[in-house]
Amino acid sequence: MNPDAVEENQEEGNILVWLTGLAFLAAMIAIFIYVPTERTEGVIQRIMYFHVPSAWLSFFAFFVVFICSILFLWKKEREWDIYAQASAEIGVIFCSLVLVTGPIWARPIWGAWWVWDARLTSTLILWIIYVAYLMLRTQSDAGSMRARYAAVLGIVGFLNIPFIHFSVLWWRTFHPQPKVITNEGIGKGMDPTMLATLGVSLCAFTLLYFLLMGVRVRQENLKDEIDRLKKEKLYSA
Amino acid sequence: MDNLGFLFAANAVVWSGIIYYVYTIKQRSRALEKDLELLKEALSRKG
Repeated sequence: MNPDAVEENQEEGNILVWLTGLAFLAAMIAIFIYVPTERTEGVIQRIMYFHVPSAWLSFFAFFVVFICSILFLWKKEREWDIYAQASAEIGVIFCSLVLVTGPIWARPIWGAWWVWDARLTSTLILWIIYVAYLMLRTQSDAGSMRARYAAVLGIVGFLNIPFIHFSVLWWRTFHPQPKVITNEGIGKGMDPTMLATLGVSLCAFTLLYFLLMGVRVRQENLKDEIDRLKKEKLYSA
Repeated sequence: MDNLGFLFAANAVVWSGIIYYVYTIKQRSRALEKDLELLKEALSRKG
């Protein structure tokens, strides 16, 4: 890679680190100081400002997997495979956080850590699908059939997300109905300060996604470079 | 555990998860850079 381009990338990376740090600082201030305590659930409701952005980030990450997997199958370019793999890993991390913070929130409100309702069960299935995707990736070399199988799994797995979103509308569930996007419009079901706090937290998590993606994509490119050099060394021996 | 404890636990889980993931990424980066250095050295020695 061109040294000027490397320097430029590093500079962009540093700006993103600072922006993400500041966004998280603003989110923490908003969550613990600015936003008022919710009347019915009390202080525990503040978990929403971690839980919902984690869910958003994981769904967004799996959407990127979906798009990049289609592009990989279509164009057969390793670049799309790398993006899909990096995004799936981030998606699984944040989906895990959703599955842990949800029960912590549920225990004092529902009286149970876990209930097998449609939203929770379908989210668990989503997590299992993408863990399987990552396990498949560890078995796969670039350009092999397994990378294609992973792409197919990445596409099929994403089809679960609309089901997760609508599950609370189609069935009676313990999980509350959407508060941000409702029939009355975006944000109409929430207090403006709560909506603003959620917005800041969503921004912070989204910035973190792009930061992590940048690093993971660079790592995968480096891995490819190492593989290329290893082959070069092997042939020259 | 009171509700404040649950809030603290959720907050701790999220931060621990993020920090642990960033740590593993950093470790992987170090290992890859080391691998790359060694390979480049080996190749340059062979000329």
